[in-house]
Amino acid sequence: MNKKGVERKFAVVLVAAIICFSLSVNSVQAQDVATGTATATVLTALAVSAAQSLIFGNIYQGVAATIGNNIDASSGIFNILGQGSAGISISFALPQFIALADGSDRMTIGFSSTDATVDSNNTTPATVVAGDGWINVNPNLLPAATVIGAAGQTNVYLGGRIYPAVDQSAGGYSGDIILTVAYNGT
Amino acid sequence: MRKPFIIVAAFLFMAASCPAQTITLNNDLVFGSVFPGIPKTITKYSVGSAAEFHVAGISGSEISIQFALPTYMHSSGFNIEMIFFNTDCSIDTLASPSQTSPLFDNLNPWTTLLYRLGSAGLTIWLGGTAIPKVVQPPGSYTATIVLTVAYTGA
Repeated sequence: MNKKGVERKFAVVLVAAIICFSLSVNSVQAQDVATGTATATVLTALAVSAAQSLIFGNIYQGVAATIGNNIDASSGIFNILGQGSAGISISFALPQFIALADGSDRMTIGFSSTDATVDSNNTTPATVVAGDGWINVNPNLLPAATVIGAAGQTNVYLGGRIYPAVDQSAGGYSGDIILTVAYNGT
Repeated sequence: MRKPFIIVAAFLFMAASCPAQTITLNNDLVFGSVFPGIPKTITKYSVGSAAEFHVAGISGSEISIQFALPTYMHSSGFNIEMIFFNTDCSIDTLASPSQTSPLFDNLNPWTTLLYRLGSAGLTIWLGGTAIPKVVQPPGSYTATIVLTVAYTGA
């Protein structure tokens, strides 16, 4: 092969090398993309309802009346629905009096430190037992360890006492009892 | 005249041997069970729950790292807000990377990050926070996290 032929061959190889190199360089500088996923499973939302009011019925002026937390027909009953076995924080906002609808008279109401029962087995006020939850606890300081029952429901039963005055106006009295429930993340 | 051919061959080999960078997803960002109304944070140190990506390529080369982060997870038309704070990312370029004590910590996943690949590449971790509403409908929520890496040439 003469000198010209060798030079031509060299030139061809050189061009090929440059092309290969540029392709290689391009592949090195190309980007790569990966796609990950964020996932979460949201549990059942809480739902609270007042299944039954705390009912004192007919009372006499000057005669205090008490309703226990274990009376199916009269105890206040609240139902809490949510994720089974989840920890919850619950608290009552209890009234200090109940009043006539027009506000013209009111009557003192009180709650003792044993007036509430928390039932995680979804029984009834009259049939709940200690193993079902927390019996006769303070409605102003409900148990911190309260959980939704395994079946997805917990009930709270509430009793109380009213103190009508001797000159209490006749009529229907009422007051709001508020139960607030929130998951505590446990 | 053989010498130039040898040089060219070596040059070709060197150029062809440079590998492109590749990303491997080792772990998704997994929040697990979330209670309605209770925000849940997965830290970048959380093994098995934080997102983990591994980037392989030419040791010593600088790469740019850029996330495209979601603002919501979705499920059947419902959303959960997501938050990524400017310290939610970490990177380790050591041969034996440590998720709980990474070489580069508290990085901002919202900015383009520039790091050099270690001898075994580099590993990236990402944490985040989910903010479910009090009335968040139950279900499985998902979102896509996109990671793009590229050599910078530096």
